[in-house]
Amino acid sequence: MAAAPPVTAAAAPRPRSAAPPAAVPLWQRVRDSGWAFLLPFLLVYGAFLLWPLLYGLWLSLTDTSLVGGGGDLVGLANYAEALTDPMVWHTLGNTVYFTLISTVPLVLLALVMALLVHSGLPGQWLWRLSFFAPFLLPVATVALVWQWLFQGDFGFVNQMLAGLGSEGVGWLSDPAVAMWSIAITTVWWTVGFNFLLYLAALQSVPDHLYEAAAIDGAGAWSRLWSITLPQLRGTTGIVVVLQLLASMKVFDQIYIMTNGGPDDATTPVLLHVYDVGFTGYRIGYGAAISFLFLAIVVAVSLAQLWFTARRRAQR
Amino acid sequence: MAGRPGGAGVPPGPLGRPLSRRGLIAGGLALAGTVGLGGALAGCGAGGAGAQSRIRFWSPLTGGDGALMEEMIAAVERRAAEIDVDSTVLAWGPPYYTKLAMSSVGGRAPEVGVMHLSRLTGYAPGGLLHPFDLGMLAEFGLTEDQLNAGLRSRSTHDGEVYAIPLDSHPFIAFYDTDIADRAGLLDTDGRLREFESPEDFVAASRELAAASGDQGVAFGYVNDDSQSWRLFLTLYTQAGATIEFPPGGEPVFDPDAALRVFRFLAELLDGQSSPNNLDYFGALAGFADGRAGVLFTGEWELPYLRETQLALGAAPFPTIFEQPANYADAHAFVLPRQSEPDPERVRATHRFVALILRESLTWAQAGHIPAYLPILELPEYGELRPQVDYAVAGERVVLDPPAWFAGAGSEFHTQTTGAMSTALTGAGPEAAVEQLSGVLTAFANRQNPTEGDR
Repeated sequence: MAAAPPVTAAAAPRPRSAAPPAAVPLWQRVRDSGWAFLLPFLLVYGAFLLWPLLYGLWLSLTDTSLVGGGGDLVGLANYAEALTDPMVWHTLGNTVYFTLISTVPLVLLALVMALLVHSGLPGQWLWRLSFFAPFLLPVATVALVWQWLFQGDFGFVNQMLAGLGSEGVGWLSDPAVAMWSIAITTVWWTVGFNFLLYLAALQSVPDHLYEAAAIDGAGAWSRLWSITLPQLRGTTGIVVVLQLLASMKVFDQIYIMTNGGPDDATTPVLLHVYDVGFTGYRIGYGAAISFLFLAIVVAVSLAQLWFTARRRAQR
Repeated sequence: MAGRPGGAGVPPGPLGRPLSRRGLIAGGLALAGTVGLGGALAGCGAGGAGAQSRIRFWSPLTGGDGALMEEMIAAVERRAAEIDVDSTVLAWGPPYYTKLAMSSVGGRAPEVGVMHLSRLTGYAPGGLLHPFDLGMLAEFGLTEDQLNAGLRSRSTHDGEVYAIPLDSHPFIAFYDTDIADRAGLLDTDGRLREFESPEDFVAASRELAAASGDQGVAFGYVNDDSQSWRLFLTLYTQAGATIEFPPGGEPVFDPDAALRVFRFLAELLDGQSSPNNLDYFGALAGFADGRAGVLFTGEWELPYLRETQLALGAAPFPTIFEQPANYADAHAFVLPRQSEPDPERVRATHRFVALILRESLTWAQAGHIPAYLPILELPEYGELRPQVDYAVAGERVVLDPPAWFAGAGSEFHTQTTGAMSTALTGAGPEAAVEQLSGVLTAFANRQNPTEGDR
């Protein structure tokens, strides 16, 4: 690449800016490209994302133990074990279940809340504040508050139900209900973020569209269906994919509220990874399960990308 | 606290003056000099009273336990001027043992740590701990015969002593003396009476429920890591059975005894007279509130209950089946592995352990039964009520089966917990036995991660 012989350059001294790009040696182009500005990011990215990822991949091929034993290469044995481990499938199922029952309300409720606030309810700042405020709370606070609300014996929710003459629900103790309780907690906690994204999108829908529709005699409903919702399509795509990814990596609130119980009804796959790797010391096997999970997450993200691209192409 | 080197060696900052590079270097040198000097001076000062050894101490003791431990450490420091304890309290739970194990693997562990005796089998054989030097302990006045024999037998591996037990903390029965009195269950001394059979106890629980107007027996286990296992192992041992994990073989397990236990519990905690779906704090708060006659839990709840429940009585776990038995665990001092142990510190650590056991009377206030026997004979201990009422539990303790995966805060506890909800609110006692048996077999087949090359 460094083709320009120095003799030529010396023989025909020209202003540097006039030189054809090919004449500048590669190292100079690299030097001048400003890569040094990227260095801080690249270092952090490499040290805290890339390297751990590769190291984790290596670990998943060994029988490394957190307490020092093992460390020998075992090939794909960990992956084979994970695929036949009923606990892996059970917890993956739990994660998918939670993702479904949390993503739907987290997107729809956020949209409804944003539409209501945007429609000009009095006291806008109060609504915005109260919808978004829970999102600012740390997870431990949220989980503990809801744990007491859901307390089976004398928790607030069951006390209210008792006041209405209804029998209490084992919110966190009934295997059939516990995941729903976690989802309710999560919706209350994080719906504010999606709400905010929707609200911002609503505020950027151009007014002239509504004016034109009003002149054409469109009512409130047809304006909603034909203008507002189509205009929000891009935001919905973002909200859905962000929400799917956030729901799939659920861990904290479950760890605090039920620790995976009752009878593993709420154990998400990441809690299983944690149990296997950090409590059970089998860090190699834990890494293998997380890479299987990573494959699923990547698949979901790619599907979303493909979906968006196709929709754009159709337009 | 005496003589922390460098504590006062912070130079005044260059206020109101822009910091030049040269100034920074000069300042740094000055700082280093000051710290060095401070260190040297502190060394001189301590040298007059014998060299000080800094001992790093890790424990999972929080709350009331933590405060009492700090009190005991301060007492030891007063008694032995050469010991300077740097105490670190980590949150109790599974992560504590992960941290302790990893610090040992790295060889940069604290000099001494507190660990549950039930976890020793996962640590000592894997080389994560140093053994104690019994000669050195004897030099400081601690001999083996001063310690609870049942716990001592669990402190050794390959003929070496790896743990010095501080206490045993059994799973017991707290009772509301008012409710028990109304139910006619107190003997002439005002203590909970003995029970003759499982049926006798179930009948008594119905009377307690009638007397309290609410719950007979409260037991909180839902979503808790260990409560189910504690209650199960207590009753299973009372039924004369054991669980063992012979190396490389099938687990020893008596399904008939387990079925008796789960059947009894399903009848006792029927969801009518005694609830079958309480969580830990729900049971505790309900009992403290006077809504239940009896609470099954660990004696470690004594400090809380003493404050909240005014009619409080405590008894060893009632003997329901053939032989008395109490699930328990024990806090013990251990020496996590260091790659280069400092002989002076090792000596100071042995002295620290020998001395702190003598402060066990302070520890007994929290409800724990001291493992250091001379304390139990003190008249002051005899006055601690209700501690003395269940002190006999210390002589019939059942610890987890010795296996690398078992013990407090282990995955084993969590996994065995599911069987309890199956028995009480799920498919029933037979299914619970099957589930438990499956878990035991799965654990027995696991590869021990503490074995192999390091």
